[in-house]
Amino acid sequence: MIDTRTAKVVVAGFGSEYRHDDGVGTLVAERAVAQVSTSHFVGSLSDPLDLLGEWNGADLVIVVDAIHSGAPVGTLQTIEIDVENLSCTALDAESGAGESSTHGLGLVAVLRLARAINQAPRRLVIIGIEGERFDLGEGLSASVEAAVPEAVARVVEFIKEAQSCA
Amino acid sequence: MTHGARSSRTISAEGISRVEGEGSLRVRVQDGRVVDVALDIFEPPRCLAMEDACGVVVDERIEALRRLLYCGEWIQSHALHIYLLHAPDFLGCADAVELADLDPIGVTRGLDIKRTGNLVMQTVGGRAVHPVNVRVGGFYRSPELDSIRALAEPLRRARDAALETVEWVAGFEFPDVTSEYRFVALDQSDRYAIDGGRPSLDGHTLSAAQFAEIAVEEHVERSTALHAKLDGRDRYLTGPLARFALNASRLPEVARDAAAAAGLYAPCVNPFRSIVVRAVELVFACDEALRLVERYEPPVQPAIEVVARAATGTATTEAPRGLLLHQYDIDDDGIIRRARIMPPTSQNQLSIEDDLRRVVENGLSLDDEELQWRCEQAVRNHDPCISCAAHFLDLTVETS
Repeated sequence: MIDTRTAKVVVAGFGSEYRHDDGVGTLVAERAVAQVSTSHFVGSLSDPLDLLGEWNGADLVIVVDAIHSGAPVGTLQTIEIDVENLSCTALDAESGAGESSTHGLGLVAVLRLARAINQAPRRLVIIGIEGERFDLGEGLSASVEAAVPEAVARVVEFIKEAQSCA
Repeated sequence: MTHGARSSRTISAEGISRVEGEGSLRVRVQDGRVVDVALDIFEPPRCLAMEDACGVVVDERIEALRRLLYCGEWIQSHALHIYLLHAPDFLGCADAVELADLDPIGVTRGLDIKRTGNLVMQTVGGRAVHPVNVRVGGFYRSPELDSIRALAEPLRRARDAALETVEWVAGFEFPDVTSEYRFVALDQSDRYAIDGGRPSLDGHTLSAAQFAEIAVEEHVERSTALHAKLDGRDRYLTGPLARFALNASRLPEVARDAAAAAGLYAPCVNPFRSIVVRAVELVFACDEALRLVERYEPPVQPAIEVVARAATGTATTEAPRGLLLHQYDIDDDGIIRRARIMPPTSQNQLSIEDDLRRVVENGLSLDDEELQWRCEQAVRNHDPCISCAAHFLDLTVETS
């Protein structure tokens, strides 16, 4: 167990464990938080709006989710959102993260909303793991499973960095 | 955006959000009269939660717990739709973010209500979305008494906030449009139906199986969504307007009083005022959840035993958007051999198109931009779940 000072770090896992690789976000988030007990786990989320209330006052929020970008399966991608200067970035257009529907708002829209009502975190990092199977069923595909330790290590690194700077 | 000559106007409303999915709206106007309206949906609605179709009768405690779970879903869904998706229409805001800039206290209130709905879902269903604690016959685990009782205080606050919500939305300006609806909603003699009851229309009730026979869905070439008609002929409407029209007298006093104070009486046939009906239903859902929480007693067994047998099961519930029908053919091993899910959006599709016809007929004097805005509102009035894409509306007005 790592003894750290208490920067508030929230690690949010998105996706459903009942859709194969879609469950990797929650799995990675849970395992990372288990290694750094001073961080706070939220999951399994499917609606970014549910981050509101969970991330209030956080120094760092790490969102972990499966992605489907065409990269080799198991590839990790890290995107840091500039919370202070958030504007209409490429992220909105390319990933759909800024979109809204009758079921909710995208992550970027939620971040903008959070800023308007003074509930935004100081820093937001997204860690994506390229998935292969998103159909109904449990268990990760082999390449995604193999990427889990590195993804967990990356999340832990972000948590430690934030907490050592607190 | 406007394209073309005056005799044939084309208005594109690409990049529109706050409606579920990808679709387009085409309106043809001839001699000042709307001759054709088509709302195309390019992706079928997502399935809602699976409901028990085995014809199993659960005990009162399990039934109460299910109703509490549904209340959580109504609270979550109605708060989201009212505050983040529908209210911006009435306040001249492009989206919820603009509304949050304009009225941060109001939006915070809406989010707090939604979070209370999430809390109910989490406590009863194991998760705030896609509950995992639900099974045929009941639940995998009964929530502890303390965890349910702990919901009382947040629900009291949410009910107060819902009452403020009714007051807030009642003050919006509504276009003067009325529609003619054939309403269908579940009927339960002693309560405002959510999770049970019989489909009611034209003053009489049917079993879920009978309703499944007369509500016929059709494929339409221009759309991948099914269009439901009664007896293969008539459009009808489910959802808040239908429930309020048929069941308003069964609302608890606190919700009835809120409706009266807002000047809302049944039936309400102005689709733009559906936001007020939703707000009244929000008061009801909070109040009902509170009542269930205060009386909660853990079920003796979290689920009753269900023995598989070859049969067809049909069940209807009131999802926040409207009537949801599930029908399954099950074999002796409990394997589902045929499934039919009829979500609210396919049932409301033709009524939404009819609303659009009226809105356009009443709004021909508006300029393209205003007419486009009004049409989008008319679709959002019914909170359709088209799909998960964001751009839904390509509006074409052809005048000849």
